Amino acid sequence: MVTDLKLTLMEILDGSPKYKVSRYVEWLITLVVLVNCSAVILDSVPEVHAVHKEFFHELEFWSVMFFTLEYVLRVWSLGAKFGPDAGGAWKGRRQYIFSPFGLVDFFATMPHYLHMFFPALDLRILRVLRLLRILKLSKYNTALQDLFHAVHSERRAFGSAAFLLLIATVVSASLMHFAEGHEQPQFFGSIPHSIYWSIVTITSGYGNVEPVTKAGEVIALLTGFLGVCMAAIMTGIVASAFSNQLSRKKAAYQSQLRAVLADGVVSDAERTTLKKLQAQYRLSDAQVQLFIDEAQNKKK
Amino acid sequence: MSAAPQSASTRLQRRVFEILDGAVLDGASKACEIFIATLVVANVLAIILESMHDLHEAYSAYFHMFDLVSVIVFSVEYVLRVWSYGAKYASENGGAWRGRKEYLFSVFGMVDFFSTVPFYLQLVFPGADLRVLRMFRLLRIFKLSRYNSAMDDMFEAIKAEKDSFSSAMFLLFISCLLFSSLIYIIEGHDQPDVFPSIPAAMHWFILTIISGWGNVDPVTYLGVALVVVTQVLAIALAAILTGVVATAYTAQVQRREAIYETEVREVLADGLVSDEERAKLKQMQAKFGMTDEQVEAIAEQVDAERRARGET
Repeated sequence: MVTDLKLTLMEILDGSPKYKVSRYVEWLITLVVLVNCSAVILDSVPEVHAVHKEFFHELEFWSVMFFTLEYVLRVWSLGAKFGPDAGGAWKGRRQYIFSPFGLVDFFATMPHYLHMFFPALDLRILRVLRLLRILKLSKYNTALQDLFHAVHSERRAFGSAAFLLLIATVVSASLMHFAEGHEQPQFFGSIPHSIYWSIVTITSGYGNVEPVTKAGEVIALLTGFLGVCMAAIMTGIVASAFSNQLSRKKAAYQSQLRAVLADGVVSDAERTTLKKLQAQYRLSDAQVQLFIDEAQNKKK
Repeated sequence: MSAAPQSASTRLQRRVFEILDGAVLDGASKACEIFIATLVVANVLAIILESMHDLHEAYSAYFHMFDLVSVIVFSVEYVLRVWSYGAKYASENGGAWRGRKEYLFSVFGMVDFFSTVPFYLQLVFPGADLRVLRMFRLLRIFKLSRYNSAMDDMFEAIKAEKDSFSSAMFLLFISCLLFSSLIYIIEGHDQPDVFPSIPAAMHWFILTIISGWGNVDPVTYLGVALVVVTQVLAIALAAILTGVVATAYTAQVQRREAIYETEVREVLADGLVSDEERAKLKQMQAKFGMTDEQVEAIAEQVDAERRARGET
């Protein structure tokens, strides 16, 4: 009885499509998080704070109660994730508690209790931690995860881009130091000083200091242009990482589809696997239909 | 392989070549790579720190000592490279000097030369400008690019898409000429101090393109319109450049994956994977800089295809 309840609760909180309620739970949590973040932002306006101080305080209290309940329920129900032979209740719980989501859930809620017991704490830190709650939303939106995956799979390319950026910064800063060090010693007197200038120039195109020598002017223009190129390279890598990731997902789905269609029969279990894979890769129905047609044509 | 017995010096030359070239990564060549890379990084740090006046005053003897030691190490590296690259081609294939010439006139050879040799010039002519010398020392940072394929990758990708790049550059060039002439004609009379000539107007144009805001506020209505159009053009050019880089990069990755996939298919064709084949695949993966996940995905796909074909 308790085990069944635990399992059901885990699936609901995990967003399983089996229960309709899990949808509503998702929406409720999203709503509370959004209200919370708006409150943090509004609360920082002194006029609003002065008038609605009591309301914000109440809201914060009930939100913390709500998130605490969510956290406790999650920890409790995730005990059902692994059977006693596969690691027992605490394996699933430990997995959740030390996952990025578990840590976000913890640190977005628990510091409030510290504040209750030690009211002298620095409030600003607490406010920053409250803003962590917005990260709870990434559970329901895979954008952040997709981004991390894409970056992770192209980590070598990013490393190379960072290497180029480093070389561009050091070389432009040193050249500027050699060119303008005597003329403007307060800005380019040493290479570390010029590094600040070259980072500003690479990121914004226009440095904090105007060069006074002809050589300096040329170096400044080249550095700014290099900045545009660096932005293009970074953007290009991200774009290509996303498109490569997409084509890899499609290939994986297609090979799974081929395996399913190989014996000519599509069992219920296979259908569920495909559905799950489609949801995981977030492929549209039209795309999937296209793959199926393609695979069937090939078989004929 | 020639059957003639190799003398000890030929064998040594061959071994030194393998270590320095680093095509086959074994323990010794890896250690050599790490040592040189560390020394280069330390050199760059020293150049940066030395430029701070206080530090230079306090530790100038140490900086000098360090530079001397580095120059000696780099000189030994250079001489060893020139000597050992003689082993690259066999005598019937162009002989010892072909490999040496290739290295001497390659980008890396040039970098190695110009980042080391000016130091000796200073010994001979002590009156040389120190700033020029320091600039040459800074070249040492490019020695690192031998161990990081970033620049190679970039140039390879650009080369494959050189048509798109050259059309983007052409667009930039044409618009630079056109817009700086126009602003000179329109605003040259009203602001003779900032647009005294077309080259000065070009300076304004490039600044506007890279930062979105030039150094000058226009004073005429036509001038304002021209500035706005230039700013829009700046965004368009950035987008074009980004798109070209993205396409070039994607194409490169896909080309490499296709080459690797062909190789995997060939290896799996006879159903057996020998140690030699495995080593070849590993080397290919390292050269292309593919991650283990990518390689696994490709292997899985090829395997699935084989199974699907086997069952039908």
